[in-house]
This record gives sequence, C-alpha cells and structure tokens, in this order.
Amino acid sequence: MSGPIEPLLAVKGLSSGYGPVTILREIDIEAAPGSVTALVGANGAGKTTLMKTIAGLIPAWTGEIRFDGQDITRAATHHRVDQGIVLVPEGRMVFALLSVEQNLRLGAIAPRARKNVSERLEDTFRRFPRLHERKGQLAGSMSGGEQQMLAIGRGLMAKPRIILLDEPTLGLAPIMVKQVFAVIEDLRKDGYTILLSEQNSRLALEIADYGYILENGRVQLSGPGPELVDMPDVRRLYLGR
Amino acid sequence: MSAQLLFAALVAGSLYALVALGLNLVYGTLRLLNIAHGDLVMIGAYVSFWMLSLFGLPPVLSIFVAAALCGGFGWVIYVGMFRKLLATPALAQRLEANSLILFYGVSVILQNCVALAFTSTARGYQYLNEVHKFAGIAASGNRLMLFGVALALCLGMLLFLRFHLFGWSLRAVIERRDAAAVVGVDVDRVQMVTICIGFAIAGVAGVLVSMTEQITPFMGFPFTIAAFVVIVLGGLGNIFAGIVAGFALGFIETFGVALTSATYRSILIYGLFVGVLLLRPQGLFGKAIKIR
Ligand SMILES: Nc1ncnc2c1ncn2[C@@H]1O[C@H](COP(=O)(O)OP(=O)(O)O)[C@@H](O)[C@H]1O
Ligand SMILES: [Mg+2]
Repeated sequence: MSGPIEPLLAVKGLSSGYGPVTILREIDIEAAPGSVTALVGANGAGKTTLMKTIAGLIPAWTGEIRFDGQDITRAATHHRVDQGIVLVPEGRMVFALLSVEQNLRLGAIAPRARKNVSERLEDTFRRFPRLHERKGQLAGSMSGGEQQMLAIGRGLMAKPRIILLDEPTLGLAPIMVKQVFAVIEDLRKDGYTILLSEQNSRLALEIADYGYILENGRVQLSGPGPELVDMPDVRRLYLGR
Repeated sequence: MSAQLLFAALVAGSLYALVALGLNLVYGTLRLLNIAHGDLVMIGAYVSFWMLSLFGLPPVLSIFVAAALCGGFGWVIYVGMFRKLLATPALAQRLEANSLILFYGVSVILQNCVALAFTSTARGYQYLNEVHKFAGIAASGNRLMLFGVALALCLGMLLFLRFHLFGWSLRAVIERRDAAAVVGVDVDRVQMVTICIGFAIAGVAGVLVSMTEQITPFMGFPFTIAAFVVIVLGGLGNIFAGIVAGFALGFIETFGVALTSATYRSILIYGLFVGVLLLRPQGLFGKAIKIR
C-alpha cells in the first residue's frame, strides 16, 4: 500500500496492571491517522486494561505512550482528553443522574472543546436522532443500546482526535451490535481515527485497517484486519472455526 | 400560634439544610466523613463575634470573612492532607473510614485551640433583635436574616448544580469519579473547590447561628450530629434530597418539641437517625428525588 505514515498513537513496550498484578506485558501498538485499529481477544485478555492505560486511568509501569509525536505517558487523564484522546469506556459509564443533554454538554468540558458546543450538539443529535428525542430524560432511564450511543456521542462532544472505543457492543442485542458497527463505519467515513476493542473479533477485524490479537496481556499477532481474518490459524484459534 | 410555629420550623430547617449542604458536598465528592464540620460552624460563630467586638463589623459582612477563612482552611486541609491520599486508589478506599478519625482529630484540635485562645466562656452579642410583626408572626430581624441567607445559599447551590457546567462536573464526580475523569473533568480541581465551598458554607452557617445562640468552643458537635442526621435522611451525597431533609428535620424537631417538651429534643433527633438507618438506609427519599 502507501509508504509509512506517522502513527497518531504509538504505544511502545507498555506494561501495567492493578496493585501487584501485572496484566499488560511489553505491548507495542500503533494507530494510523484516519484508520480503524482493532484490538481483539478473549474476555480477560487485557483490552480494557490497555484502553485505561492509554486514557491515563491507570498508570503505565514501563514503556511509553506517544500521541502525535508527544510523550503523554505521565499526563493526567483530563490533559489527555484535552489533547484529543477520548475514551468511550467499557460499560458506557454515562452519568445516570444527569440528563442526556447534560451528559453530552459535559462531554465538551475539555478546554479544547469548549467553543461551538451548541453546533457540535446539533451534529451529535443529527448522528443520533434518538438522543435528540430523549435529550431531557435521565441517562439512567435509557436502554443499553441508547446508553452506548450516548457514550459515543459524549465522546464526540470532546472533539476527539482519536476515539478509544472499548467493547462498545458488550451486552447488546444483535440488532444493536449491527447499529454500533454502522456508527463506527460512519465515523471512519467522517475521518475519525478509531481504536476499537472487541470480543466480536471477526466483525471487528473485518472492518479494521489493522488489527492486534491480544492474549494474556501480550500482542500475539498483528496485521491488516482482513488478512488476519483469512489466516487459518487465526480462524481456528480466535474466531472459533 | 401555628403560624409562629411554622416560622420557627422554617428557620430551624433552613439552618439544618445549610449546615448539612456543606457536609453533603464534601462527602459526595470526596467521600470524606467530616466529623469536624460542626467545628467550622463554631469557627464562623467566633469570627462573627470578634469581627463585631473588635472592628464593629456587622455579621452581614462577617459572612464573607468567615467564608474566606473556613474555605481557606478547607484548601489547606485538601492540599496538605487529602490530595495525595485521594489520588492513590488503594489509599482512597481506606480513606473513607480513616477520614472519620482524621477529622475527629481536627475537631478536637480546633475546639481546644479556640478554648485556649478565647477561654470556654460563653459569648454572645445583640444584632438585629428588634421584632417584626406580620401575618400573625413575631419574627426577630436576625432570624429573618438567618432564614433569608440560608435559603438563598441552598437555592443558589441547587441552581448552580442544575445549570452551570462546573455544577454538572461536580455531580458527575459525585456519581462516578472515574467516569468524570474520562470525559475530561479535572477531578482534583473539582474536589478542591468543593471542599472549599463546603467548609465556607459551614463558616457562613456559624455566623448566622451566632446571631441567635450562645457561642462556645464546644457548640459545634450538635451541628455535626444534626448534619449527619439530615444527610442520612436524604441519602448520602444526594444534594437536593439533603436540603429537603434539612427542612424536614426542622419541622420534625420544632413540632415534635411543641407537642411534647424540650426534654424530648435529643430523643427525637437521635431516634430519627437510628430509625432511618434501620428502616431506610438509602434515605427517606431513596432514589425518588434527584436533581435534573
Ligand atoms: N480493577 C481490577 N483489579 C484487578 N484485576 C483486574 C481489574 N480489572 C481487570 N482485571 C484483570 O485484568 C485482566 C484483564 O482484564 P481486562 O483488561 O478487563 O480484559 P478484557 O477487557 O480484554 O476483557 C483480567 O484477568 C482481569 O481479571
Ligand atoms: Mg474489557
């Protein structure tokens, strides 16, 4: 394909974990601008831990995280958000006691996102008409699929330069899973850079420009998404056939 | 007669709501059980007394002095003690229980420092004690001021939480600290500002109390207890329900005492506390009342 592109996000030799327990070991991943990068692997492989470490919710023990050439390994979470690294967390984490609109507006609290909030709110409502219908409602009163859309919408309000989508289809009905993937395709068309973690490995790799297969906190395999899907070993070991 | 009682209940209720508001904000955002909260009320009361005695500064202006002093104390406590502890998840988990003991220490130190400096002699002063008669009520000016200021601060805080972006981020931190960080809220700053606001509110409440009650170094404890009763009634960390519960306690106490006698006051308050904890630990209103 084309020559080497400067990655927007580059993780090198990263390890982290919880308390005394090491989860991630020597992780190297990159995300090219405008691409969809998939992180797949079984439950417990370390996808969420990696997302949290990139977002700064848990500290990196070793290695470095570079964003747009800058070292952000030690930056506070809200500073990373202000640089455009926006996590849409596993389990959605919407504010149940705030209204849909308040959730969205709060998504624009980072200084870089404070201007033109109302326009961006309109854009978000256009992308997710359902949120517009429910804007005055408490977020906690919505269905899981709607809350996922809200979590993504809230992330978009922050003017992300990269969106970290952590298991966005977790616990959703098959029809909602389809919708979430349709949203991801739309975001890619609009030029967003996406790091997507998924247990639906096949679906994720099929739409990914590049994919990483995680196992026990290590990267086992990586390559262009569709190529990974076609590899017999990958099919047998990770895709269940 | 009942109009008079109603007014008394409103005055007591507004004070309880205000004192509990400060405690609830600090508990909600920082998960700290500030058992020294009432002692900040005491500090506010002394500020008012000394400002009037030494400089002739009326309580209506001392409000700002007490707010600044207590708010500043909150800042010192946060930066000096809690910032590091809260930032470390492992320590933060134990902090909620340990904060009770830490603040008990702060409470004892504050009480004894004030007793050493000013002796434990009860103080008091006269301010706005002329009586106004209207609508079948006889109300002293200072009680009207107490009610007015306390109500304004409670309503102001509710409006702030309802309409201001910082208010939303405060509610976001109360609901889920990690999710607040995820959207880009500077959680450390929210916590620092909130402890300052919570402490400042207690100082202001102290100024208001000092207009109608005697001032001693040990006057704070009953306020701590009342504030805990109120936030347990309303549900810990639920700001709006806490304010409603403050008024509810004012009514229960005032009408309860009127129907029985003053000796039952403590029994009423503690009975309510224990009763609610046993029967409805999630608070009287549970999840029914939330600010939008
Ligand atoms: N808060 C935590 N404390 C301790 N261990 C955790 C915590 N969260 C996850 N783990 C462990 O880390 C490992 C990786 O989990 P996670 O990153 O959530 O995997 P995935 O997202 O791929 O399912 C699992 O073994 C899990 O038990
Ligand atoms: Mg996960």
